[in-house]
Amino acid sequence: MDLRFDEADEAFRREVACWLATALTGEFAELVDAGGPGREHEHLQARKAWERRLGRDGWIGLGWPEADGGRGLSWERQVIFHEECARAGAPGRVGHIGEQLLGPTLLMFGTAEQKARFLPGILDGTRLWCQGYSEPGAGSDLAAVRTRAELRGGEWHVDGQKVWTSLATEADWCFVLARTEPGSLRHRGLSCLLVPMDQPGVDVRPIVQLTGTSEFNEVFFDDARAARDDVVGAPGEGWKVAMGTLAVERGVSTFGQQMGFAREFERVLAAARATGAADDPVLAERLLDSWMQLQVLRYTAVMTLGAPAGSTPGTEANVAKLMWAPWHRRLGELAVDVLGAAGTVAAGPGVDELTPAQRLHLFTRADTIYGGSDEVQRTVIAQRMLGLPRGPA
Amino acid sequence: MDVGFDAAQRDLRRTVRDLLDREGGAGRGSPVWRRIRELGLLGITVGERHGGAGASSVELGIVLAELGRALTAVPFLQTTVAATVLDRSAAPVAAQVLPGLVAGDLVAGLATPGPASSLPVGTRSALTGVLDNVVDGPHLDLLLTPALVDGDTVLAAVRTDVAGVARTTLPTVDRSRPQARFVLDGAPAVVVGDAAAAARAVDLLLAAVAVESAGAARHCLDATVAHLRTREQFGRPLGTFQALQHRCADLAVLVESAWSTAWYATWAVDGDPATAAVSAPLAKAYCADAFRAVAGEMIQLHGGIGFTWEHPAHRYFKRATSTDLLFGGRAWVRSLVARRAGLRP
Repeated sequence: MDLRFDEADEAFRREVACWLATALTGEFAELVDAGGPGREHEHLQARKAWERRLGRDGWIGLGWPEADGGRGLSWERQVIFHEECARAGAPGRVGHIGEQLLGPTLLMFGTAEQKARFLPGILDGTRLWCQGYSEPGAGSDLAAVRTRAELRGGEWHVDGQKVWTSLATEADWCFVLARTEPGSLRHRGLSCLLVPMDQPGVDVRPIVQLTGTSEFNEVFFDDARAARDDVVGAPGEGWKVAMGTLAVERGVSTFGQQMGFAREFERVLAAARATGAADDPVLAERLLDSWMQLQVLRYTAVMTLGAPAGSTPGTEANVAKLMWAPWHRRLGELAVDVLGAAGTVAAGPGVDELTPAQRLHLFTRADTIYGGSDEVQRTVIAQRMLGLPRGPA
Repeated sequence: MDVGFDAAQRDLRRTVRDLLDREGGAGRGSPVWRRIRELGLLGITVGERHGGAGASSVELGIVLAELGRALTAVPFLQTTVAATVLDRSAAPVAAQVLPGLVAGDLVAGLATPGPASSLPVGTRSALTGVLDNVVDGPHLDLLLTPALVDGDTVLAAVRTDVAGVARTTLPTVDRSRPQARFVLDGAPAVVVGDAAAAARAVDLLLAAVAVESAGAARHCLDATVAHLRTREQFGRPLGTFQALQHRCADLAVLVESAWSTAWYATWAVDGDPATAAVSAPLAKAYCADAFRAVAGEMIQLHGGIGFTWEHPAHRYFKRATSTDLLFGGRAWVRSLVARRAGLRP
């Protein structure tokens, strides 16, 4: 057991930090700390340009095989890249859905032709993707998908509605889970289709959230078209592909996320010291709890996500989510609590004019819902990790 | 980075688990203690020049996690922590007692850590003060304690069978963890380390307690899940009820995170000592807390049987409580974390 990065990895860390210090200047200087969950609406054009800069300098697809255009870097180096980006305040990614969800799915299930067509656009940061899984009637229960697609006249005709689609206004393509076998039930008869967003049959409507801002969208498909060959995996095998997408994430981005959490904690602590709240015994205990649990998040990520694939039960990501989401929500509560009454005064009269503490407090209510709610995570952990039996249907 | 255990470490775990499945008893006269001595486990971290195996804190942690799982009541944790500390000491007394500690002829341990105001005071050769709630105190031949000598903190060793040392055995709720109070009245003492050595000794002790607790907490969850899978009410296994599944999931998160935190700290005391100053007390605080929560739920989720003397749940619950209250106690350990992390002055 050795839980340190080795000297070569530390040299790589310096290389990343050095590149970031150079790159986050000039037109990109305004992007420091921009974007990310709760701030997805900020600086979108500049962040798309940043995506192309990342691609140009070879920082996308670090863990992908070299044969597919990636750099084949180790788990440690991917972690280091994410940590350094977070430390430098690099902007929230807009290409991450392509890089971290669709790309690995194509690497697993895609044909050679699909990989050749779609991977380069992800790797050079020019083609952005969004994910069409959730529906109004299929949230926690994803197998209840009702969006349908039919092969007619040599192409897929797609009809239905997706919801909570991040960055749909910016995306060029969407990977859509649709029912392609009429009358099929639950996990059967689904397919994963690649659908261009720029066409008459696709309509994107932003959702105004309780933060007053819009990061998530509804996407309506009204006889939208997808090419016959743009189905990932065999038609009818979409559930397997969708589950593969969710399982492939081995958590390298978790470390960057935690570095971001540490920066947020430092701001809450600074505010608590400025207001004197840090000297209040109750708030001081909550600050200490928050800090300690942040270290526990990191220790747990190191010990479980770093373990060799196959050596663990495969539910580490569920455990990690059920740890960080409630933690982050409590940090949001602490962020306004240390301000006291002043924490109730907004930055301005507009509904979306929130202070950073207020934004953290309000947006973290989404953390325990998206990406599998806390309740779904508990059921998965109980049944798949602990082996508790399913109840009567 | 190399996460996980190698083949030799997995073998060690299996050996210890087999041993604890076969042998029982409590204290220095027990069959389990005899086997632990025979296997040379008491010298696991001690250098070969003193007859030990020269292994790292990770190997020590593997044994401790198994002892925690089985709740074995022998003075292993205390003796091995003391031996590890003495193995690093250049004081002549260390070389004199280490062979006895490795062989199990002598038993040693650390005083429970605490604020400076609780430390014995005196000279480099004689100490006065009260050391209360010393874990395994009734068994100890040798006691290590931080002490204040001429305004400096040192790590001192005191023999327990000499004039100037009065030992009182204390009755304990947690019967797996005997305690004694030692009153030192000009007790003969030997300095075995400086302030830094005293701090490192406490870090090792706290990490050892953490990993032992994590092993015990994991057992509490395993036993509870096994019960819920087989116990039927309303015509179906209790484990099919979502209310219980979700509570078990929360316990699983606690156990997994405590396990990871304990191992991080256990590795760090040898692998990265500078960071152990934070991770060791943090792990002790977190794992003791998790252990208490899981042991409490173990009683609740077993229902009536969990409230009986016959069922082992209460022994884990009492061990969890004593773990949290001893070894510095909750408030002191947490404030140590806060100070070392720079959160408080």
